[in-house]
Amino acid sequence: MAITTPDILSVPQPAPQKTAATKREYPGALVVVEGIDGSGKSTQLYLLKRWLEISGYRIHFTEWNSSPLVKSATRRGKQRRLLTPTTFSMLHAADFADRCERQILPLLHGGYLVLADRYIYTAFARDAARGCSPHWLRNLYSFAPVPDITFYFRAPLEVAVNRIVAGRLKLKYYEAGMDLGISLDRAESFRIFQERILSNYDQMVETDHFVLMDGTVRVNKLQKLMRQLLGERIDLKQFAPKKK
Amino acid sequence: MKPPRAQSKPDVPPNGRPSKHAKKNGNGAARFYGIPMPGVRTEDLSGSLIVVEGTDGSGRSTQISLLTEWLESEGFAVQTMGLRRSFLVGEDIDALLAENAVTRMTLALMYGTDFFDQLERRILPALRSGLIVLADRYIFTLIARAAVRGIGRDYLHGIYEIALRPNLTFWLNVRPEVAFDREFKKSQTISYWESGRDMSLSNDLFQSFIRYQSMIKREFEYLSKRHGFIELDGEGSVSEVNRVLRRRIASHLGIRSTHYKPSHALAHLWR
Repeated sequence: MAITTPDILSVPQPAPQKTAATKREYPGALVVVEGIDGSGKSTQLYLLKRWLEISGYRIHFTEWNSSPLVKSATRRGKQRRLLTPTTFSMLHAADFADRCERQILPLLHGGYLVLADRYIYTAFARDAARGCSPHWLRNLYSFAPVPDITFYFRAPLEVAVNRIVAGRLKLKYYEAGMDLGISLDRAESFRIFQERILSNYDQMVETDHFVLMDGTVRVNKLQKLMRQLLGERIDLKQFAPKKK
Repeated sequence: MKPPRAQSKPDVPPNGRPSKHAKKNGNGAARFYGIPMPGVRTEDLSGSLIVVEGTDGSGRSTQISLLTEWLESEGFAVQTMGLRRSFLVGEDIDALLAENAVTRMTLALMYGTDFFDQLERRILPALRSGLIVLADRYIFTLIARAAVRGIGRDYLHGIYEIALRPNLTFWLNVRPEVAFDREFKKSQTISYWESGRDMSLSNDLFQSFIRYQSMIKREFEYLSKRHGFIELDGEGSVSEVNRVLRRRIASHLGIRSTHYKPSHALAHLWR
């Protein structure tokens, strides 16, 4: 049902939501990287960020699950293993909402290039792997601005899992999907959980217009490609430092 | 921020009429609005969930204290719930409200987290044990508060479609002016959030309170139709409102509506 405006309301009623196809209502642009742990996405976004900030571009970098307002609740919930699939999902949505309302949207309106390490697709892939309904998740995050480009880093499951397991003393409880009771062995549980997430990601490639990136390609070669694709999709000049 | 909208129409039919969805899922799911929240057992919910809704100053908490005593004296075990009482995030919300950094969507989703945590850890286990759960507010207050701040109603219903449908939902309806008198008498001032001061409606606290509570009331009028609330005149005397509540609850539980007079401990509420 559409929002009906009772006559006594003087609060401004929001405009109808734009779809991905319509022109954006802000001058900024949103760049997203997605992929399972160990797919190389964070390394690549870091290099992209360094390239842009060294050149003095107007950029902002934001990470999944990092809002200071919601952090203490999430940390306690995870440490004491209080989270269920639903509350896990709701808390991450609250975290995202805080970053969205206080950082991402104001910066997009202020003409920034916003770089996001993980975005709503992480919730779609991961929370659905925990049993949340995809339809419910899509609604939950329907307030999020649609990215201008979403790089999806894909590496074979074993490659990605080995990268994480090799460099980590211990996998965390929720990270390994231990709450799902798949396996008592953390590494095994992690592998099966990541496999489910990978399959959920793959299903979004077409529906959400992911740009597929091969996570097994050499780092500098892949970065070169990423910069090229970004330049083709987004007019980077508008974020460049103003000449005096 | 753009108003969030549901991607498609959420399946939230009015009270008492199970959705097609619920029927398909068998009896176990019949008491949820749509697909139940993941990972919960939905069978064996033999208890009753009774919700009392109403704005601040509508007399909700008073009635819940009295109903608890009455039900216990009749031999029914009672569990209560209310907003911000979850172990998971109850105190975090208190902290968010104390500073003014929090924005409307974050607050709405934190309240949602608080609600679902209580639903999974408090309400469902109690209902499985055959208890009567008295809810001092439920999803409807959360929907109304967020909706008056411009968050889409269908978006909000979409979030709560995985929630449990109450057996009875009472709405204690009072005029904002009456609510103001009662609230002021209680605390000698009006709180920031009760008067909707985050919405910049008026610099005058009274005006702000009246306008905000009028908006909430309108949302409740809409919700009442959509979900089949039992609307009661919250301006009646405590004993009169309580009598009507007991009659409806007794009928739901299949017991005779018995005479009730509050104990000494609660006698001060009986006006």
